[in-house]
Formats: sequence, structure tokens, C-alpha cells
Amino acid sequence: MTSLSNDNAIQVEALTKRYGSLVAVNAISFTIKRGETFAFLGPNGAGKTTTVEMLECLRKPTSGKALVLGLDIAKNQMAIKKRTGVLPQDFYTYERLTVKETIQYYAGMFNSRPDVDGLMKLVDLEDKKNVLFKHLSGGLKQRLGIAVALVNDPELIFLDEPSAGLDPKARHGVWHLIDGLHKQGKTIFLTTHYMEEAEILASRVCIIHNGNIVAMNSPQGLISEYGKRNMLILKQTSSRAVPNIEKLGIKANYDETTGDVTVHLNHGVAVSEVLHSLTSNDIPFGELQLRRSSLEDVFLNLTGETLGDEEDTL
Amino acid sequence: MSHVAIDLKASIKSFLRNKSTIFWTIAFPCVLILLFGAIFSYSSVKYDLYLQNQDIKDGKATYWSGVLIDALNSSNVFNINILNATINATDYAISNRLSSLLIIPSGFNDSANMGLLTHSANLANATFVYDQSTSSAPVVGSIVMSIIKELNFNLSHGIDYLNVQDLTIAPKRYGYIDFFLPGMIGVTAMTTSVFTAVSISAQFKQNGVFHKLATTPLKRYEWILSRTIYNVLITFLGMAVMLVLGVGAFGMKITLDATSLFMVAMASLMFTGLGMIIARFVKDPDGADAAANVITFPMMFLSGTFFPISQMPLFLQSIAQVLPLTYVSDGLRASMIFGQSQTAILNTAIITVLGFACIIVGSWITKWEED
Repeated sequence: MTSLSNDNAIQVEALTKRYGSLVAVNAISFTIKRGETFAFLGPNGAGKTTTVEMLECLRKPTSGKALVLGLDIAKNQMAIKKRTGVLPQDFYTYERLTVKETIQYYAGMFNSRPDVDGLMKLVDLEDKKNVLFKHLSGGLKQRLGIAVALVNDPELIFLDEPSAGLDPKARHGVWHLIDGLHKQGKTIFLTTHYMEEAEILASRVCIIHNGNIVAMNSPQGLISEYGKRNMLILKQTSSRAVPNIEKLGIKANYDETTGDVTVHLNHGVAVSEVLHSLTSNDIPFGELQLRRSSLEDVFLNLTGETLGDEEDTL
Repeated sequence: MSHVAIDLKASIKSFLRNKSTIFWTIAFPCVLILLFGAIFSYSSVKYDLYLQNQDIKDGKATYWSGVLIDALNSSNVFNINILNATINATDYAISNRLSSLLIIPSGFNDSANMGLLTHSANLANATFVYDQSTSSAPVVGSIVMSIIKELNFNLSHGIDYLNVQDLTIAPKRYGYIDFFLPGMIGVTAMTTSVFTAVSISAQFKQNGVFHKLATTPLKRYEWILSRTIYNVLITFLGMAVMLVLGVGAFGMKITLDATSLFMVAMASLMFTGLGMIIARFVKDPDGADAAANVITFPMMFLSGTFFPISQMPLFLQSIAQVLPLTYVSDGLRASMIFGQSQTAILNTAIITVLGFACIIVGSWITKWEED
């Protein structure tokens, strides 16, 4: 492995994990810069959790190497644990400890003395400080999990499916928190199968499929490179629209059933040009819909699959 | 070491906030002690009684010795075993560890007749030889006495023509509760430790607490040490409540020495290790409870907690000899009640060896994460 750059929080080279004949993670390599929010995106069984757990020093790699904060995961497990924070998927702890006691418990494990009130304020649990863990909702448990992941003031935070199973309001609360951590300069390694989560939070997204990295770039970069083009849908228009639009050098399809025309936009042609072409030729059209390409399209394009909502257990 | 203290504090707080666990650990054994203590103190099960009749004439029992034997037989309480009249019955009782023996001496019939003629009491004396370190002997003695009193009442309405003299072959007098309470302390050590170890391990594995703990500097052995100390402390708490109950409600005389306390600690260690071994092979909390029940319930009933092993069929007695709870119960009885220090130390030594073996194996096979 090349020597560590001080800019890198994580350097992974040819990291592999096998379970018998099953290759869970297949010689993947990537780097994460300090202060970056990096999303690992993939479906069930893609190898996300296995990779993260190797970096968290919970599983031993079959081969390959990884440095976390400049420390070798094969030799410096305790040092890495002391300098990183982890929010596991579906954070759970002693049911009969209160919010405050839970934070104090984990702080004790790191021999650290964090500002417990400050942490509770950060995750907006001040008014729940004396509530037992078992009485917290799923969203509040995850928020407490984030506070617990911060008790040792970590330089790097692993967040494994931080908003899985949460309702939209709770999910946005967790995203707001993660964004706040990013702004504090923390390096965040996010594992998710929610496209929107990766797109909103991450500065870079790595798509993993069947243990292999299939693409890695900024969300917009991935969409530009692998996404479908943005589409303009003209409702209830005439088939005459198609040859007129194609004169502009872009592709269009007419759906006889619905009477809709779908226009595949490219960067060289503006929506206004399409509309001008139609109006100048007296071609009527109804409602307009503009559909942006997303990471979902990128994923579908790269893997031929859609992402499910089930937990990644591999 | 501070990690152990932190985890221990969290475990104790969780315990004190869990009413169900407090009930099963503290209140339930007390309820059992009160119930069984009351029920078996007045029970009417059949007891073994050895009998030697030395008062024989022309090969037959004399009249009054025959009357007494018939009365004992017709009470339907005893399994009477007749000993040869020529042996030294007291020596035989000691060497064969008999709990109850009634000796009708030669001349018993003549003495009874003399008493009747002269209206004199206590001329005809049988001898009740018994080992008071057994739970059944005092009960047998009181039944024999009541049968003779009934005979006397029918004869004279007041004068004790027939009498029984006690001859103990063990120094103290004990009741069922003396037998039962140390057994319940052993059961509490077992259930607390096994169920805590199995169910906590299964729950923590399933809901990801182990996963989270594994990401902290807390070491696996520190967590196991904390859980073991927790189990010992909770067992001591249960033991303290039971001892207070035994002394307060039943007037027990208990010796609480270092051997007893060490035995309880080692029993907790052993059952914690056993629980961890079981936990390794169960996949979810429901399976954990079932597995713990499969181990603890038969042991509870076959290890001489509720009734002496000697009252069980021979094949069950053989099984009891390989169950660790048997040695815990016997050792605690020996040290706390009977003052038999050698037996107590031997049993404690066995449990100590088993305890360290179980905790070492349990710790070795317990995994927070599957690699």
C-alpha cells in the first residue's frame, strides 16, 4: 500500500472477505478524505456491512489491507476503536438505562468525559434525558445512537443505515444531524440503501454490488455519467410532435395509449426550444412534466437491479 | 477494571428497575420456602423405619412388643424394615447411615405388664435411634411418639405405660426447612446465573448490543467478568433475603461461614459459565429461555432441593450424582446447617473446579461477532 496521505481518513487496498466459497467483498480499493461524507450504496448482500465491519475492526479481512486514520486495521484495533465512533444499524443498548445514563455508560467505556448535556442538546434529547431507552421511539433511539457515537469526540464516524426504518420526519431529523456533523469537520462513512440519503448527505458515493465497487463519484457526477437523461413529458399531444422535436437533434417517443410524448433531453437543448418548436408548428399539448435523472437510475443502469428496503445482512 | 465497574453499575441499575426479574430472583424463592416449609413440615408421606425387636419368646414377638409393632404397621406411615434381633442395632444404624431405628428391648413385655399392675409409668422403654442430620428423622420420631401416646391413652387415659427414649446418632435437631433452604439458595444461584447468562447473551446478540460494545474499547473478558460479579452479587442478595426469612419465620440456626459464601460464589461462577455455553448454541431469546429451562428444571428437582435424594428411585439417584447442583446443595447444607466441614470443603472443591472449567469454556466460546 502506498504511504498514507494526511488528507486521507481511510485507505483501502484490495480488501477481500470470503466465507468459504462465497466472496462477500472482492478486492475493493478506495480512499476517503478527511472531512468528507462518503456514502456506501448498495442492495442487500452487496457487501456494505462486511466492508464497514472490517474497517471497524469487527471482522478480519481474508486478504488486502486498510488504514483507518493511518492505522492498520490488522494491528491497531484498539487505537482505531478509541478514535472512531460507530452508529450500528438499529442502535440498541441496555433497555433500562436512561438517555443520560446511556451516554455516560459509553463515555465510561472510552474513559472520556464528554459534555453530556451538550451531546443531548445536539441530538435534541434534552427533554428525554431521564427516559428509559426502551421507552424511546425508533427515531429517538437512532438520535441517541448518534450521541453515543460521539462520546469520544471521534475523528471518523461510521453510520450504518442511520435512518433505516424511520418515518420521514424522523429520517429528516437524522439527516439534519449528520449534516451538522459534516459541518463540524467530522469524516463520515455512511452506509445506506436509500438513494435520497446518499444524494443529500454525501460528497461522494460508492456503489457496491456483489462485493465489487461498480462506480464511485460525486452524486451529480454519477448521475451525469451513468444516469438517464432528463426527460420532458408532454401530456396529450399529437404524434406530429415527434418529427418536429427530432429536427432539434434529440430523441422523442409517442405513446399511442396515453397520447403522451416523451422527450429525452440532452445538455445542448433547452426545454424552451422544444416548446417553441411545437407552438410555432401549431401542435397542441397539455400538461408538462420534467423528470430528473437520479441515483436510482444510476444504480439501475449499473446493476440492472433496484434497491430494496430490507436490511443488508452480509 | 473501570470498564467492569461501569458495566456492573449499569447491570445492577437495570436489575433494580426490572420488577419481573426482582420477583423471580428474590420473591419467588421466598414464596417457595414459605410454601414448602409449611407443607412438608406436616406432610404424611411414607418414611423408612428400621425396627429391631429383642423381646421375643419362643420365636414370637411378646404381646406388648407385638401390639406396638402392629400399631406402627397399621399407621400406614412407615415402610418397616425388620433387623435381626441378635445384631448391635445402634452400631448397624451408624455404619449404614440409617436415619430412624426403633429398638424394642428384651423384657419390654414384662416391664409393660409390671407397669400396668403397679400403675407405674415409664417402665417399658423402647429406644428410638436416629440421625438428626437427616430431614426425615425428626418427623419419624414424632410419629412414633404419637402412636405410643395413643396406645397409652387407650390403656390408661393418662399413665405412660409404654415409653420411647431418644438416642441420637447426630448432635442437632433439624427440620425440613433446614434441608430445604440451603437447596433453595443453590437453586437461586443456578437460575439467576444460567438465565441471566443465557438470555442476556441471546438478547444482546440479537438486538445488536454486542455489536455496539465490540466497537468500544470494552474487552470481552471485562464484560464477562462484570456479568459474573453481577450474578454473584444478585445471588448473595437472594441468599441474604432467604436467610432472614429462614431465621425470622422458621427460627433456623444457620452458620454463615467463609465456606458457604465461597461455595455460593463458585456456584454462580459455574452456572454463569454453563449459561454462556448454552447461549453459544441458541439463536434467539425464546430459544434461550427454552434451553435454560431444559437445563435448570430437571436439575432443580433431581438434585435434592425439595426432597432427599435417598427418597428417589435408584436410577434417579445415579443421575443426581452427576448433577452439579447436588454438590452445591449438599455442600451448603453441610456448612450452613450440619457443621460438617469436611463434606462442605469437598463439595466446594468440586464446584470450584467445575466453576472455573465452565467459565473458561464459556468465555472461550462466547463471541460478540461472528467472524
